[in-house]
Amino acid sequence: MGAYSFHVENVQICVVMVGLPARGKSLIAQKIVRYLTWLSVKAKCFNVGNYRRIETAHPTADFFDVNNSEGERLRKMAAEAATADMFRWFDQEKGVVAILDATNTTKARRDWVLNLCRKRNIEPLFVESWCDDEDLILQNIIDVKTTSPDYVGQDPEQAALDFRNRIRNYEKVYETISERELTYVKLINVGSQVIINRIQSYLESRIVYYLMNLHIKPRCIWLSRHGESVFNVEGKIGGDSDLSPRGREYARQLPGLTKSSVGDQPLTVWTSTLKRTQQTAKYLPYRQLTWKALDELDGGQCDGLTYEEIEERYPEDFAARDADKYEYRYPGGESYRDVVIRLEPIIMELERQENIMIVTHQAVLRCIYAYFMNVPQDQSPWMEVPLHTLIKLEPKAYGTEVTRIKANIPAVSTYREKGQSALKK
Amino acid sequence: MLSLSPSPSPPPLSSDSEDSGAEDDGLIISASSPSTDRTPIPTSRRQPSFSSSDSLSPPGLSTYHSELATSPITSVFTGPSTPSTYRMQPLAVGGGYTRPLPRTARLQQQQQRPRIGSSVDYDGIHEPPSASHMSPAQLYTTASGQLFHAGKVCIALVGLPARGKTHLAVSLTRYLRWLGVKTHAFHLGDYRRTCIPNEKEVPEDYFMVNASPETVLLRQRVMAACKSDVFKFFDEERGQVAIYDAVNPTSNGRRMLHKEFTQHGIQVLFIESICDRPEIIEANVRSVKISSPDYIGWDEKEAIKDYLRRISDKIPHYESLDETEFSYIKLYNAGERILLNNTRVGYLPNRIVFYLMNLQIKAGCVYFARAGRSTETRPKYKSDPHLSEEGLDYAKKLADTLLEHRRKEHKALEENGESVAERELIVWTSTRRRTIESAAEFENRGFSCRQRSQLSQLHPGSCDGLTREELEQTFPDEVENHAKDPYRHRYPRAESYHDLAVRLEPVILEMERIPNDILIVAHVSVLRVLYGYLMACQPNDIPKLEFERNEIVEIIPSAYTNRVKRINIPGVAPSESSSII
Repeated sequence: MGAYSFHVENVQICVVMVGLPARGKSLIAQKIVRYLTWLSVKAKCFNVGNYRRIETAHPTADFFDVNNSEGERLRKMAAEAATADMFRWFDQEKGVVAILDATNTTKARRDWVLNLCRKRNIEPLFVESWCDDEDLILQNIIDVKTTSPDYVGQDPEQAALDFRNRIRNYEKVYETISERELTYVKLINVGSQVIINRIQSYLESRIVYYLMNLHIKPRCIWLSRHGESVFNVEGKIGGDSDLSPRGREYARQLPGLTKSSVGDQPLTVWTSTLKRTQQTAKYLPYRQLTWKALDELDGGQCDGLTYEEIEERYPEDFAARDADKYEYRYPGGESYRDVVIRLEPIIMELERQENIMIVTHQAVLRCIYAYFMNVPQDQSPWMEVPLHTLIKLEPKAYGTEVTRIKANIPAVSTYREKGQSALKK
Repeated sequence: MLSLSPSPSPPPLSSDSEDSGAEDDGLIISASSPSTDRTPIPTSRRQPSFSSSDSLSPPGLSTYHSELATSPITSVFTGPSTPSTYRMQPLAVGGGYTRPLPRTARLQQQQQRPRIGSSVDYDGIHEPPSASHMSPAQLYTTASGQLFHAGKVCIALVGLPARGKTHLAVSLTRYLRWLGVKTHAFHLGDYRRTCIPNEKEVPEDYFMVNASPETVLLRQRVMAACKSDVFKFFDEERGQVAIYDAVNPTSNGRRMLHKEFTQHGIQVLFIESICDRPEIIEANVRSVKISSPDYIGWDEKEAIKDYLRRISDKIPHYESLDETEFSYIKLYNAGERILLNNTRVGYLPNRIVFYLMNLQIKAGCVYFARAGRSTETRPKYKSDPHLSEEGLDYAKKLADTLLEHRRKEHKALEENGESVAERELIVWTSTRRRTIESAAEFENRGFSCRQRSQLSQLHPGSCDGLTREELEQTFPDEVENHAKDPYRHRYPRAESYHDLAVRLEPVILEMERIPNDILIVAHVSVLRVLYGYLMACQPNDIPKLEFERNEIVEIIPSAYTNRVKRINIPGVAPSESSSII
């Protein structure tokens, strides 16, 4: 199986986060998981803090003092529990990339992780976030004290103070990575300097490249399907048909709808090479770019057929697609997995860019949406994305916020539920 | 090149300071010149117009040199055994770039389709891109004709000789051009040699900080000539990335360079190549610097020592990059460690670093092979037939031939006294049965075979299953449009070669990284694009490349140019082209 298209070598990688609290480690860890999961590389984050909280739900800064031996013992226990689970996951679930999200600020702790990995033939990739930019740290502290489970229900001022003390306790023992034999990437002040050391595999280089493309400026992404097409009305899939009269109406209303959400911010519009997306974006007064990679999932032999015809002519295919829609490849066409692979450069470019609006097709939109919303593969191909609706995605530190703006123009539903026969209709 | 100017020993210090460029080039060509013997191309396929005496420049020299080429540079470049296929036409009338002389051609000679007058068994990486150049994997252009609004970027290399700068310049050029960035490498050493044709006339203090006023003037003249070409490339030829290949050893010099380019609206990205492992430097010296005839008869260790001593005598002052206000990349020991400073400026530096993380100095070779015949004479895109009897026979012969070839090559190396371990061979196929079954023999014999969905063939869209005649009848207009832009044109519902190239990028980076030898069994359209990358073909040549079924095409990488070798598979019939688009 060419299952892991971005996973060439048979390696298992443990991404070991390194850095003081409030350096954006968890954010980076989450992003890596999202990106790799989306590429079908099995990835999972193991947050040592979550294990520690089982015993110590709301610790004070003293807990993190090196001289507090009880605190030290409990923290070591949490690390052991997290790594034990992580190695079990590598072993039993054939995980590919685990992210060990903890401070790992001492050389001794890193050596400990390193040895555990080496014993099991797992490649450690250390990712250190090093920051002395006070504004950035402050912003992270504000974020943490309002979102961290450690400070739930506490006075925010008090929480901020305690958190600062916690950081100070860590600073006492912090040793930045300088071990030349390690594979690591060190991000200094959000990438104003980066050190990349001994990258061992293509997959590691992809992770590092991804990290280099991340930015933290606030921005939004708008997604829309094309307006209702002639094929939509006829119930056919694929093709390159024109918009229906109702689809053309959506195209005319789209600039107003967009303006109401975007306001006066700059925006770039991306479309596919198919007529229906270009006709939909026709009236948008922004810079427009066309990407072949945004074209609809190719239905192969079924292109241009109705679901009813597909079920009649290819009953086995019809059933196979329901059984595993993500992997199912139309005869001579594409699967959702194929679409994700060709969308990867688009995602990378989206991470780099600021405000973007994408006018594309149902399957492609589901894939992009799945990236930003962490939708699992068994669900993403079944998501309902109605026509004539603008979706606004607002990436935030701990998740993405979604707003749906309906255009109030009726359209046919192109949605078919899992297991629902087209013939019964 | 095979012969430097015949000069008595002690050997002239080639590749001294601004370094690399044609001297390196020359020396590297010497290392690779056996390609004439190693590329078994029937003479009948050669263009008749070759002659080894009618051209002056090695491939590293573009017509950028033309204004400078007042003095004969033959003393440096012309060697009797330098393969004529490396020569470029002297100079185009009316300026602009010259097309190279037609090289050995393999472009669909058996077919009636119009042939173009250049060849592809030649690494085109040193040809300057034409004014209207579009690249194999270019995603889109902006109004300015440039990619991703990345602006104009000068990549200024920093590093002593024998630190792999030429390899870096050539590899980056290849990758960036592939991405659609109009890139050209300018080797300052070439300009010095043009201004001072006789190496011995290079003043002793040429590379020194406290040089005499005359030397400083001379140096400035050389640099001005090079920079004027760089500016011309940006201003008149819509260039986007110029790689300024020089030693750039002092902080002061770099500051001046930075200032000058910045004033011209050009971003500067410095890339320094640093080695602190003597074995890497020695390997570099051994492979590219002392293969010159001047060191013939020398003990290898002595020769390396002599060369390095000359370098440190000539360039006593070297300051590593420390100008933190600049954007720079420091590359330690050929990518073992990479330091980025202030590179968050844009898409290109990130892309370059991604590439550098995967770049290996000693990459293995790549073999391309077609899939065997299937049970269908004209398999449609959507059908997925098994191999026929003939195809199964082919699969066996493919494995026999390649493995035997590898055994022989390895044996030859051993007989040369080189005790190198045989590189591991891995096999990649597409997900179609034809390719999987064609590689099955390798799997049976214990080689690792991987199926990769990215390697699936160019999607033929509405042309699927048509014969050439049917295609012309069904889509006469499209056939005409296709002829105008064969690389970018999409037949109805089909992928263009450009689409295919974009989809193949991850495969290409893995090819760069993997130190093993790789056999790729895939559809001819895929082989064309991968070959086009490795040999820096012009996009419009790519759709016309031929891969015959009775041949394995081997690409042998080296720092300056990649070489092609064709291995005949005995007992297999050559095939007519199987793809009509």
